Order: sequence, then structure tokens, then C-alpha cells
Amino acid sequence: MADRVDRKTWVQAGIFMALAFVLIVVDLVPLDMRPSLWVAPDLLLAVTLAWVVRKPTYVPVLVIATLFLMTDFLFMRPPGLWAALVVILSEVLRRQHREFRNMPLLVEWGTVAFGVVAITVVNRLVLAIVTLPQAPLGLTLIEMIATILVYPIILLIAHFVFGVSRTSPGEIGSKGQIL
Amino acid sequence: MARDKNSEDYVGPIRRLLVGVLVLALIALFLVWRIDSPRVERLRAAAIDTVVPSFDWAMAPITGAANLISDFQSYQQLREQNQDLRRELQQMKAWKEAALQLEQENAKLLDLNSVSLDPQLTVVTGVVITDSGSPFRQSVLINVGARDGIIDGWPTMDAIGLVGRIAGVGQNTSRVMLLTDTSSRIPVTIQPSGQKAILAGDNSLNPPLEFLEDTALVRPGDRVISSGDGGVFPADLLVGQVALGTDDRLRVRLAADYQRLEFLRVLRSQPHEEIADPDNLLAPEAEFFGPAGINPASLNASELTDG
Repeated sequence: MADRVDRKTWVQAGIFMALAFVLIVVDLVPLDMRPSLWVAPDLLLAVTLAWVVRKPTYVPVLVIATLFLMTDFLFMRPPGLWAALVVILSEVLRRQHREFRNMPLLVEWGTVAFGVVAITVVNRLVLAIVTLPQAPLGLTLIEMIATILVYPIILLIAHFVFGVSRTSPGEIGSKGQIL
Repeated sequence: MARDKNSEDYVGPIRRLLVGVLVLALIALFLVWRIDSPRVERLRAAAIDTVVPSFDWAMAPITGAANLISDFQSYQQLREQNQDLRRELQQMKAWKEAALQLEQENAKLLDLNSVSLDPQLTVVTGVVITDSGSPFRQSVLINVGARDGIIDGWPTMDAIGLVGRIAGVGQNTSRVMLLTDTSSRIPVTIQPSGQKAILAGDNSLNPPLEFLEDTALVRPGDRVISSGDGGVFPADLLVGQVALGTDDRLRVRLAADYQRLEFLRVLRSQPHEEIADPDNLLAPEAEFFGPAGINPASLNASELTDG
């Protein structure tokens, strides 16, 4: 699986990285410096998880680690912690991605939602243990719920715009590799 | 499906090991950051310094589109705005006249009293490149850094009021922690009562005032300026106006326009001269003329021997 990678996978991995880059840049554009009362969903996380569940070969673990470490640095988060949690969650989902193929959407959504809640809670717990200042609880909860709610929409966009959808049974790559 | 699992078997354990190492490395970085924050923060500043300026081309279209929309909205209100501005201008002319007179009077009085004020502050102006990207941190990145002589802790203003302070300097960029950030604490004075307080950011647009001695003396509408206590900031920078929050706490309506921060002025704030050894402030001992019994030098000496 790891040794046979066809061109389509490379292209799709490139597209994923470009998409991630756009999402990061959109977050960074300085439009309004007033603190907001609501929080947009963590689109980068939702997109990454959707891609991992649907087509794990498009998002190598090293890409996820680099990407989230970079956002840790850019967004002034404690560096490494959130990246480590996202890598762990993505690995858990990656291991289950074959089972997801035969399951209804709700199960997949529920698993992802559980994962997002878990890493948010663990993140806050660790920050509390090492006595670091925390983000306001309300905002964190809003962001978490928004991320979970936006997940199905991301799946639709992934399917119709980027052509990233569940692998159908018996589908193989252009080099004959098992997906 | 069974075949899939088999084919993965020889890759699986190695991959798992590598991922484990990766996760451990990330957690190690986090722990190092927690234990030895300045070093990793410098790494962060360096990373941002190299990465962010190259984002410029990608941000231009988004900023352009946003500006287009806001311009379009403002065209609609152009006439209304024009009238408002005219009216405001009339009032301002009157104020300007008053201010000029007061300035002259002030200069005369200062001259009469021969007061020496703080030396004039010089500024470096920077352009905002990015914001913090996270809803939980209130900071912006500006395009001046160590190359331009920026030093950590310097105050930053927009045209009118205080915006924040420099927290993190890279070679070409530096980060401004806004007054609204949860870790921002600024010593302020409230005029006209002269009460001292701490302006504590709490991730809301109007940060609350803390450690106020007597809240009865402070009324909404009072001017809030930086106090210069603790030598952190130069004194007398305009911060904003006192306002009563919906939670019945005294808050500050910031004078700086947080909706559009574009150009920021970083004030080159000179640190206060510190008086390290107060003993030497006393004038050198004058020659003593008079009876030896009350010579202060001999008195001191006798005290020392007694003690």
C-alpha cells in the first residue's frame, strides 16, 4: 500500500495541501481585529478528518503533522500539543477507514464527532495540568460543535468538488494497488 | 478484506512505530516549550518571520475582495457620510481653536514653572500583515522587526489610541499583543479623578478595569490614559473612555479603531532611568566647621562602634 503510489494520489495530495494552505491564509487575513462573540468552525481540522476517513492515502501522516505544527506556530497555540492530538486522531480514523466503507454516514459522523470532542477535552485537560492559560470555555465549545456540524457539508464538498469519496468495493488504483 | 489486512502486516508495525516517534517528538516539543518557553518562542518568531511574508501574494486577493465589498457598502452611504463629516468638521474647528489656545497657555505655564517633561517619543510605523488566525488570541503581526530596531515591550498605537504592545520580535516582523488579549495587563490612570487601575484584557472588545481603589470616583465617560507605572509604558498615551458594561463592571471603550487596524505606530519608549544606589544621591560631605562633638561624621562613627 505504501510502496505503490500512483499519479492520481500524488495530485490529490497536492490538492489537499493547496486547500489547507488556502484555509490557513484565509484565517490569517487581517480584516477585523475586534474579538468576536462567535467562532467559525475549525475548517482545517474538519477537512483533514474528512479526507482521512474517505481517502487516507491522500493525506500522509507526515503532511498532517507538518501542517498542524505550522498552524500551532502561526496561530500562537502551544506548539506541538494540538498537532500531536490531531495526528493521533487521524491515525485512529485511518485504521478504521475500511470499516467506514460499509457503515451508514451517521456512524462515521458520530465517530468523527466523538474524536473531535475527545481531542478538545484532552487538549484542555493537558493545558490545565501544566497550568497554562486556557481559551474561554464557551468559545471552545462553540468551535467544537461548529466543527462537528460542518463535517457533513465538508463531505459534500469533498465529493462534488474535489472528487474525494468513499472507495467502492473492488476499486483499485491505476497501478493495481489496493485502496 | 482479509487480504488487505495481510498485505498491510509487514508495513503496519514499522509505520506504527514511526507515527509513535512522530507523536512523541511533537509532545516533546510541547514540553520543551512549557519548560523553556523563550527559546521555543524565538523559534516560533523565526518560523513566522520566514513563512508569513511569503503569504502576501495569497492574501492580496482576499483582502482586495473584502475591501471591494466594504467600499461598495460605503458608496451607498456616501451622501449621508459626507453630511455627517461636514457637521463634525464644524464642531472640530471650534475645538481646534480651543486646543490651540490651550496649547499656548500650557506652553506658557510650563515655561513659567520651568517643568521638564519626558523627551518626545519617536515612532516606527508598520503595516499589519496578519492577525492571530485564532479566535482565542488577539494579536497582529506587523512588518517591522529587529531589523528596524523594534524591542519587546514597546507600546503600539494607531492614529488615536493605544493598541497594544510588542510581544515577540522576529528579524522582519513583530507581533503586537492587543489590549483585548486575555494576557494583556496595562497600568492606566483615569482622568480627571487620577485613580490608578489595571486594564485587563479578557477577549472582549471592551476590556474591564481591575484593582480600582475607589469606583465611586470613576464615572462612565472619563478618559483613560496609560499611567507609566512600573516603567512598562510611557505615561499619557490615550487608551479610551470608561464605560459601564452590561455586567455592571467598569470597562474601557478603546479609542483605537479595532475594526480596521492597518498602520500601527510603534513608540520607541526609552526605559526610565533607574536609581540603583540611593546613598550616592546625597551631596558629598561638606567640610564641617564647628565643635567636634556634633560633627556628623564622628557621630556616625561612634554609632557604628556602639552598634
